[in-house]
Amino acid sequence: MVANEETIRTDEIIICRDVHKWYGNFHVLRGISTTIKRGEVVVVFGPSGSGKSTFIRTINRLEEHQRGEIIVDGIELTNDTRNIDAIRRDVGIVFQSFNLFPHLKVMSNITLAPIKVRKLPAKQAETLAMELLERVGIPEQAEKYPAELSGGQQQRVAIARALAMQPKIMLFDEPTSALDPEMIKEVLDVMREMATSGMTMIVITHEMGFAREVADRMMMFDEGIIMEEGTPDQIFGNPQHERTKLFLSQII
Amino acid sequence: MLTDSNTMASPVLPPPRSETGVVGRMRANLFNSRFNSAMTVLAVIVIALALWFGLGWILVDADWTVISTLGGRMIIGQYNIEAACPGQNCFWRPQAGLLLVTLVLGMAWQVAGGGVTKRIALAVAGVAAAFAFLPYAFSQMGLDVRLLLLANLPALAVGWSLARYTKLGTASWTAILSVTAFVLTLVLLRGIPGVPFLQPVSVIFWGGIMLNLMLAVAGIGLSFPIGIALALGRRSELQVLKLLCIVFIETFRGVPLITLLFMSQVLVPLAFPEDFPQNSLMRAAIVITLFSSAYMAENIRGGLQSLHPGQAEAARALGLPGWQTMLFISLPQAIRNVIPPIVGQFISLFKDTSLVYIIGMLDVVEISRAFIQGNPEFLANAKELFIFLALVFWVFTYGMSYVSRRVEQHLGVGER
Amino acid sequence: MPTLLRYLSYQGVPIWRNVYAIQWVSQIASGILVVVLVAWFFVNIGNAIQERDIPYGFGFLSREYQTPIGQHFLDYKSSDTFLYAFVVAATNTIVISIIGVALATALGIFVGVCRMSSNWIIAKAALVYIEFFRNVPLLVQLFFWFYIVLALPPVREGYVISQRFYINNAGISVPWPAVNDAGMAVTWLLTAAVAVVLGWAVHSRLTRRERNTGTPSNSQAWGIATAASIGAVAWLALSVAGDGSPFVISQPEPQGTFGRISGGFTAPGGMIALLIGLVTYTASFIAEIVRAGVQSVGRGQTEAARAVGLSALSTLRNVTFPQALRVIVPPMISQYLNLTKNSSLAGAIGYSDLTNVAKTMTQTAPAVSIFIMIMAAYLAMSLTFSLIGNLYNRHIRFNAS
Repeated sequence: MVANEETIRTDEIIICRDVHKWYGNFHVLRGISTTIKRGEVVVVFGPSGSGKSTFIRTINRLEEHQRGEIIVDGIELTNDTRNIDAIRRDVGIVFQSFNLFPHLKVMSNITLAPIKVRKLPAKQAETLAMELLERVGIPEQAEKYPAELSGGQQQRVAIARALAMQPKIMLFDEPTSALDPEMIKEVLDVMREMATSGMTMIVITHEMGFAREVADRMMMFDEGIIMEEGTPDQIFGNPQHERTKLFLSQII
Repeated sequence: MLTDSNTMASPVLPPPRSETGVVGRMRANLFNSRFNSAMTVLAVIVIALALWFGLGWILVDADWTVISTLGGRMIIGQYNIEAACPGQNCFWRPQAGLLLVTLVLGMAWQVAGGGVTKRIALAVAGVAAAFAFLPYAFSQMGLDVRLLLLANLPALAVGWSLARYTKLGTASWTAILSVTAFVLTLVLLRGIPGVPFLQPVSVIFWGGIMLNLMLAVAGIGLSFPIGIALALGRRSELQVLKLLCIVFIETFRGVPLITLLFMSQVLVPLAFPEDFPQNSLMRAAIVITLFSSAYMAENIRGGLQSLHPGQAEAARALGLPGWQTMLFISLPQAIRNVIPPIVGQFISLFKDTSLVYIIGMLDVVEISRAFIQGNPEFLANAKELFIFLALVFWVFTYGMSYVSRRVEQHLGVGER
Repeated sequence: MPTLLRYLSYQGVPIWRNVYAIQWVSQIASGILVVVLVAWFFVNIGNAIQERDIPYGFGFLSREYQTPIGQHFLDYKSSDTFLYAFVVAATNTIVISIIGVALATALGIFVGVCRMSSNWIIAKAALVYIEFFRNVPLLVQLFFWFYIVLALPPVREGYVISQRFYINNAGISVPWPAVNDAGMAVTWLLTAAVAVVLGWAVHSRLTRRERNTGTPSNSQAWGIATAASIGAVAWLALSVAGDGSPFVISQPEPQGTFGRISGGFTAPGGMIALLIGLVTYTASFIAEIVRAGVQSVGRGQTEAARAVGLSALSTLRNVTFPQALRVIVPPMISQYLNLTKNSSLAGAIGYSDLTNVAKTMTQTAPAVSIFIMIMAAYLAMSLTFSLIGNLYNRHIRFNAS
């Protein structure tokens, strides 16, 4: 299961060593090496096509890396379905386009995975779902269909759905990019609350205000590598690379 | 002063007479241009003439006795003739089958909570009970037949109470019991050798609308899972499996059903050992099912292609294994998206059951045609008979489209 | 890792847990299952043919068929071979399909346009037509028309219109061109084809000139005039050079004591009923396809076109129709295929189409060989339609950019 027991420290929850990925001939990830500690909030940013989305999708095997190692909570990510399933149980993801199941009510959206995968009894799953809906602020929407909700509400349901599996890590792939400005705040509030309560988060976003407040570390991706990383103060105050300066100047 | 006149709202006036009401709508719709006015007048004249002659023929000239002469044979074919059921009256067996159907419909009504299911259940039971009062003499349509027809009403009530007051009131139980009812009906009709009252009746005597309905139900029921399997096989990455599925689908779609049916008469007996029991009904059911599943596969494939890949990704990211993703997320949505073509396929299947005449089975169309051919005194009334047949089919198929529209509404297709 | 497990592993992961292994194994297993089923079916049939001494082989094709075929578009006598009889039956099906497709398209477009009319009465009437003819089985409709045709008066008391058209229960007889001089007829037909091509060339030249320079030209009129004049000149020349005009009109005439019609072209009752039934049935589906196609073109398009000054007709021709065509053509082609397959019901009302003749053939020839032949024939027809559909799809895809 685990590659090298001695080099794993228990607070390193995600370890990536020299991860490469190709789409056909296109080399999208060119040797990503990084570690993420338990409880850390990492904000990933960078120009489009730089591989940020691909990177976080490799962590829960929505994309497959062709070279290098990825170890999540001590389990190595290989072609072994046992490992993949175990990792997916512990990693939640929130997508840019919400991807809620339109034919199920909000309550069923949230309880489907706990019931089928974690084998939770239905009553328990529903109680859990209601707690999560309260936590994200929309308990009254439980019996509605996703199409009846606003974008911000849908994204919050998506967050609740991911949280229902009680993951150790939450991935966010540009969660607010598809939202109207009024709704961005309500989603960021939920994410902020999650960060302060100690969840390990990797967030792809261009909401720099949010990053400055909440991130422990920021990573800039460019052309498949991590161009620069550091604390928000370091990145905003003293960016080292030209590309970072250029990118920041365009979005602030 | 100035502010007064500005804040005073302008009075709300009613629209002019010519814009509203029947006259207004007619003006807007039918007479809004010279061309349109001319077309309206022409259409009204044509329709009036058609109605005049048509109704005149229906009410005065047409002789509808051909239908009552053919009578029960339109419903059950030759099931009850002496050769089929020597010494006994076997008519109770299809009637018992109908009672089972009504019972299951009653359950479905309660489980669904009203709406379309309630209307269908009431319609079926009501029409069956109404048949008990047909103006035949008691010698032609005995008291036992009438009582069994009336029994459909209490059967409906029994089904409804079963669903309401016992633990059988769920959708899964209703589905299981529907399949059981179908199988039981088959057994009832076929008979069991050695059991009193259930002497075997050969399938060559089965006929009438009962035959069409049974073939349609079996075909629809079985072509659904086979069609799904074919659609998934067609999308497989294994080239051999994909090629086989494509060949199957294209072959069954490229050849007329009637040709397949009469080929099956010769080929299917060859494929099985000589003493293997089989009959025309089985062969017809197999061919119709395979034919329909080829079309179903293409419809479902279209539905799967129209899905947003993000759905399946979200399901996999949550940890749902591949087959559960397909079963709970992808397939339900794919099918929801293609309900109109699927129901269209079901309607076609029902209409295609009339083609079994080519293998010698007497469905409702063939039995009517054979009747006209065998009784030339009714030749002049063939038109009436076939118009009646057309109406019977129309009622069933329009019912199916109606149910499909309501199902679509209920599932919120196009809204969510 | 224990050695046994190592053999059962792929990429270091036991195969029952390997993502790729699971996918491939399940698909291979399904593939094997299907192959086994199909092989079992065909092998059993092969064995049964051997064991039960069932005749097979294609030698019968050169035997004489010895059975009349009711209607035929090619000359046929009972002493012709099985193979030729098969070809005659196939042409029967093909001809009915072509005529049926043309008529059904025309009627279907008409009903579809009515359905979209803003005139409530006409729209509802079209709706009633569509809902009725779509939902009643074709077989019932065919029988209905057949019995109507049967109810027509017999030949001697039939309807006669202006001494040229005869309608009775043997069919409808109309004047028809007949070949007078075979060689000249062929020559004229070839010349006519050339004339049409030249007329089209004139038309496109003129259209291009109109587009480039702006001078109006009646390109269509000129094109038609060119084609017509070439055709007429050729006709005159050939008539003078040969034995009279290449084609003459043959009139139907009652002959003999029973007044049987000879000459002209007689469409037998079965064929008329089949055509009416097929056309009215398929037209109802085509009407819905046309409606879906036109409605798929957003209303904004029509509004924009009218706003820049295009007339209603011009909008229809240049804006709505080309876009609607994309949505209409693929399902339309599958309806054409359906019509061709539905023509196989012709046997029920006595028309000798391919299926009917093949079925009769199986009484005197090996059934299995005949099955192979009709499957091949129908599959060839359906592949032709698929090919046309694919060509059209490719054509619009490259033009769409």
